[in-house]
Amino acid sequence: MMPVIDVQHLTKTYKTYKRGAGMGQTFKSFFQREEVVVHAVNDISFAIGQGEICGILGPNGAGKSTAIKMLCGALYPTSGEIQVLGYSPARDRKRYVGKIGAVFGQKSQLIWDIPPIDSFHMNKAIYGIANPDFKSRLEELTELLDIAHVIEKPTRVLSLGERMKCEFVMAMLHRPDILFLDEPTIGLDVIAKVKIREFIRQMNKKQNMTCILTTHDLEDVEELAHRVIVINHGDKVFDDSLQQLKLFLGEKKRVNFTFAESVQGTVFDNAYTKVIDRLSDFQITLEVDTAHISISDFLEDISRKHRFSDISVKELPIQQVVMNIYENAGGVDE
Amino acid sequence: MKRYLDVYKQGMYSALQSAAAYRMNFIVSSLITLAGNILFPLVTLLIYRAGTSFPGWGLYEVLLIQSVFTMSSGLSSLIFGGVLWTTMSHVREGSFEVILLKPLNPLFFIIATTFSIDSVGLFLGGVSLFIFAAMHVGAIPVLFWLQFAGMFIAGTAVLAGLSLMMAAISFKWVGNSRISELADSVLHIGKYPLPIFPKAVQAAATMIIPVGMVGFLPASALLGRVHASDYAAILPCFLFLAAGIWIYRHMIRLYEGVGG
Ligand SMILES: Nc1ncnc2c1ncn2[C@@H]1O[C@H](COP(=O)(O)OP(=O)(O)O)[C@@H](O)[C@H]1O
Ligand SMILES: [Mg+2]
Repeated sequence: MMPVIDVQHLTKTYKTYKRGAGMGQTFKSFFQREEVVVHAVNDISFAIGQGEICGILGPNGAGKSTAIKMLCGALYPTSGEIQVLGYSPARDRKRYVGKIGAVFGQKSQLIWDIPPIDSFHMNKAIYGIANPDFKSRLEELTELLDIAHVIEKPTRVLSLGERMKCEFVMAMLHRPDILFLDEPTIGLDVIAKVKIREFIRQMNKKQNMTCILTTHDLEDVEELAHRVIVINHGDKVFDDSLQQLKLFLGEKKRVNFTFAESVQGTVFDNAYTKVIDRLSDFQITLEVDTAHISISDFLEDISRKHRFSDISVKELPIQQVVMNIYENAGGVDE
Repeated sequence: MKRYLDVYKQGMYSALQSAAAYRMNFIVSSLITLAGNILFPLVTLLIYRAGTSFPGWGLYEVLLIQSVFTMSSGLSSLIFGGVLWTTMSHVREGSFEVILLKPLNPLFFIIATTFSIDSVGLFLGGVSLFIFAAMHVGAIPVLFWLQFAGMFIAGTAVLAGLSLMMAAISFKWVGNSRISELADSVLHIGKYPLPIFPKAVQAAATMIIPVGMVGFLPASALLGRVHASDYAAILPCFLFLAAGIWIYRHMIRLYEGVGG
């Protein structure tokens, strides 16, 4: 299969200047600035096929946004080659960006003071979308995302979730071949997250649309991706299927308990449970291997022995994921 | 081409919508800009009332210069006024990418989406003052009107170029709100009869940063007071605009990280 995205030895370094702390240092940096080189993306190669959903996972500062900016043509690589749909994104930017869509979780494309519907019309003009197409797509998208009732309100009064859904409409009206998402679920509540993930899955299925999303939330990847690339400090440390990642990580969840009674002295460790953190005699975080016991069985078991007032079940934090990958792979070069 | 026109139209529509959303704010800020710019012809009026003058220039002639200056500023800031602050806020928030995601010339896109309705007051104020002053300087032949039109456009090009240069500077001086004052201070020269300035200033104001074309020269054309040599100043105006565009685009390329 011909890849739609082909990335070879992609590298981006930023040059910045060190700003000293304190008056003296600041004063000094006024006259003499110390150059700092940041290797944001470091010799990364990968290829992605048509219709794939690929998650780029990594902690804050890993280089995810930098990578996606380069893939979108908004940033020139320092070195390396990118081919997407036969274009070199940054060099052919103007022609290329008409074929892709993008949602940057922290950078809105909506016009703040006016209703989203007017921003949609702006995109209609920008991409030269014909009237009937615009109408039918808008109807379809607003229905899928369940936002027909918000698109006529001023953008500034919308909730974050509603706004993010509108950002997706902005990105999809021109029927892009590829959708790039930079932390699309950041800061959203659970319901909005679920809705947006469902939307991405549907677009992927219906239009065979390729989708690249960055995230620091393992759940996004588990829910959506067929393929996962993990980057850390600009380096690619993992690139395989979601199944493979799960094998690497094991099927683990973190459960935070707030017990109604002191559990001082209680031993929780066993074949499938590990104590991660004992914040106090009441608050404990356990890691549960769900390959051995389902979460509901596990909770039933605990509740038989102790009373608790609060629990939350979470995916492994991204730092842990990266650590597990290093441990499992053993030989991955830094 | 049609796509670009549609985008511009949609941009104007959005600007109107936004202005309507903040009606009070819009009215007040229009009035403030208008007041600020109407006050200074009043100063001229006071100068003449007090019996002094700019040598060789009558009151209405000076008012004509100042009204042309105001019209030109108003027009330029309607079209280009938003580029500076939009660029500044995008660079500060690191969101300039959003503009680069659109399949358009980024400079055009910024201009199209920042149509500054607020400046309509300034422009109309300039027009009123212009009509008032023009009625008092005697009949103006058609040929003079044509010359005026050409020079007026050239003068507006200078202001556009200046706006773009200021916006380009904001890529480097992120968040420096003083940048626009820099432009304003240079511009003041265009508000007065150029001959009252030293020769070196006159030369700079026609050839290097052609601010003379913003108010003084087009008004002189209406009064039939331009010389053949003054037409030579038209070319630098468009060069100045071209320089503004070039610098701005250069800064975008730096932002994209070309060789940076
Ligand atoms: N414009 C920039 N100038 C200098 N350094 C930058 C710039 N953008 C990002 N960086 C640095 O590059 C690294 C990667 O950043 P980024 O791509 O935003 O990571 P992520 O999106 O994974 O959080 C970080 O160390 C960040 O500080
Ligand atoms: Mg990021």
